[in-house]
Amino acid sequence: MKKKLLATLGLLIIASMVLSACGAGAAAGPVKIRWFVGLGTGTDPAQVTVQEEVVKDFNASQDEIELVLEIVPFDSARDTLSTQIASGAGPDIVGPVGWGGSNDFYGQWLDLTDAIAATKFDTSIFDPALIKFYQVEGEQVGLPFAVFPGAMYFIPAMFDEAGLAYPPQKYGEKYVLDGNEVDWNWDTVTEVAKRLTIDVNGLNSTEEGFDRSQIVQVGYSAQWQSVLSVATFYDGAANIYSGDAKGSYESTIPAGWQDAWQWYYDGMWGDQPFIPTGPLNAAPEFGNGNAFNTGKGAMGLTQTWYTCCLADLAASGTEFQLGIQPMGADGEVNGRIDADTFRIWKGTKNPNEAFKVLSYLITTGGDKLLPTYGAMPAIPSKTEAFFKVKSEQYPFVTPESWDVFVQGLAYPDTPSSEQYQPNSIEASARFATFFDLMNNTEGLDFEGEYAKLVDDLNTIYNK
Amino acid sequence: MFEELSNFRKYLPSRKSFRNMTPLARRELKSGMAFLTPWIIGFFAFTLLPIVASLIFSFMNLSITDGLLSPPKFVGFDNYVTLLNDRQAGVDPRTWINWFSSGTPTSMGVTITFALVSLPIGILFPLGLAVLMNNPNLKGKMLFRSLFYMPFIVPFVASVFLWGGMLNSETGWINRVLIALGMAKEATPDWANSTFWVYPTYTIMGIWGVGNAMLIMLAGLQSVPTELYDAATVDGANGWHTFWKITFPMISPVIFYNLTLGIVGVFQYFLVPLVVNNGTGRPGGATMFYSLYLFRNFFTFQDMSYGSTLAWFLFIIILLITFVLFGTAKYWVYYAGESRS
Repeated sequence: MKKKLLATLGLLIIASMVLSACGAGAAAGPVKIRWFVGLGTGTDPAQVTVQEEVVKDFNASQDEIELVLEIVPFDSARDTLSTQIASGAGPDIVGPVGWGGSNDFYGQWLDLTDAIAATKFDTSIFDPALIKFYQVEGEQVGLPFAVFPGAMYFIPAMFDEAGLAYPPQKYGEKYVLDGNEVDWNWDTVTEVAKRLTIDVNGLNSTEEGFDRSQIVQVGYSAQWQSVLSVATFYDGAANIYSGDAKGSYESTIPAGWQDAWQWYYDGMWGDQPFIPTGPLNAAPEFGNGNAFNTGKGAMGLTQTWYTCCLADLAASGTEFQLGIQPMGADGEVNGRIDADTFRIWKGTKNPNEAFKVLSYLITTGGDKLLPTYGAMPAIPSKTEAFFKVKSEQYPFVTPESWDVFVQGLAYPDTPSSEQYQPNSIEASARFATFFDLMNNTEGLDFEGEYAKLVDDLNTIYNK
Repeated sequence: MFEELSNFRKYLPSRKSFRNMTPLARRELKSGMAFLTPWIIGFFAFTLLPIVASLIFSFMNLSITDGLLSPPKFVGFDNYVTLLNDRQAGVDPRTWINWFSSGTPTSMGVTITFALVSLPIGILFPLGLAVLMNNPNLKGKMLFRSLFYMPFIVPFVASVFLWGGMLNSETGWINRVLIALGMAKEATPDWANSTFWVYPTYTIMGIWGVGNAMLIMLAGLQSVPTELYDAATVDGANGWHTFWKITFPMISPVIFYNLTLGIVGVFQYFLVPLVVNNGTGRPGGATMFYSLYLFRNFFTFQDMSYGSTLAWFLFIIILLITFVLFGTAKYWVYYAGESRS
């Protein structure tokens, strides 16, 4: 009896599988486009709800494409996507994802040039500099969506107390130091930052008797920047490796970057410090790495996304404003723009349909998505709404300050400081180790460690 | 012990004995198995399967580069050969000694050095505390026991952060106190950022959580029959003799237990260097412990095969050390009532 029952059940299961398989092949419906979220922002429950709404809106707006949302937790997203791509079952669209996440999948993104031409997508809605930002080896592997230009965050009260002028808020403007007009460059930033670094006795870093062991306020912090972005800000964007195949790769870090790191190191461990050392930066009093937010950092150079994390500062009644990014030694502004966007996997079977979805996400869908991602729109006409939200969050920040971000869009780092490197994960980890060493080691054999870094990179690149 | 394990089948009911069971016993057995099943499924899915998978990975070249999972290929013992020549892993014993002179620490060298520094303290300190707690003249025993045990219930990561703050060379209150006592700033320890101080720093952090080991030692001390001490007193033995001739042999199984766990723990040492020194090996590679190196290869660099090889090598090392420990046990561990053939 039992055997008969089991056999019947088995037959039913097989029959249903065969029927459903036949049905799947025969059904002519909308093209299914899979949207993979998890490599960057977008996995927060509140964000998921908004993304689901966008999917619903898109599906309701037409009947040719069915957009399907796939949310994967950030921690496992990289492995999941790798496995899907390896098995030939990659998603059509991936994002939002920044440069770092994209570079982990270097060579996997579709060149959008043909799709842009086929759909007659109007790219003139973007700043041409931003379009160029997404060109890699002659391919247009992305379009602008969310951008995070840089600015010098500063606390006016600290400048007032030190009798210093505020950083300029228009690119090209001079800074007034001791009655003289000077360029807003790294030399000026260094001098100003030293005067804003104060010890427990109220002396600044340039004064006799300054006690470096009891610093209570630092002049400058490279807020949440990597060793590569510190150098990019200081000396400008650069390709950091050459070669086109294993065995030929070579580290080509420019000499100016070495100068940048020496400057940064001296700013921490030199005679007149103005940058928090690793231990000081890691101290709870200095916000465990978030010094500017504690109100103990006079200036912090970082991106738009940092406006996410200044709640403590604002709650303490401390106001901040925004100044322009400094010039390098060559008189050029070496800005940085972090950027998130959506990518199309080059193995997609439906590139045109995927591009239709992508163009929807970065335009119409962006109206709902950008606020939930806390990102500045890459389309200038949409920025007003973004700054309205930010002004409600920080009512004391002036329109002139917010405009610094808009101006900053003209200063992208091309190639990005998060650029691809062969064996990128290990190479990035090696750079992080070098930065960690600089931050935490007094009396470092800088030349020796730099030489070791280059040697190690050459090995890692060619592994 | 191993004989008993290999004869585990005798504990399972045979088909014949199952038939001979009463209906009640059969129902109880079925219920027992039903309750055990979720654990058994969990064990197979989440413990045994990953173990077997990692062993298979160690003979393949499975890694993720540029977002692509490499097509897995059987490479025989290549990964193990790479491991033997890996300067950073340092599994070649010659490199353990060299790293002091060459100044480039290997992961195995770092782990063994730290073991030599921290293990004796990790055993002797709780033993000393337990002896103090067991002193009949001590007032407020319960209070002291609670106080010493309390840090053990603080989540380990939280305590590491706390100690990181206290031992911060710039703002930590320990250095502030030293400066207030007259020590020059330059002379204060650089704690986790100094190759000299980093192991003592980690050891201090570890000592804070010895409450559990202390309790186990204390239980061992309290199980020593008092008539042995009475007899020793009658024979005129002093405290030192009493400790070495009675206390130590009687609690040697407890010390053996703590030593075994300590050795296994030190080879798996990972969390503290990851949190305190960002897992970078700073200062000067002195905190690139073997487990941390394994973690970086497997999870950061996504080289699953080499990571698995490192893991299996670690397993073999721990297994060998455990065998050696069990082998030496008969010379110094005393089990009351045990007869040795």
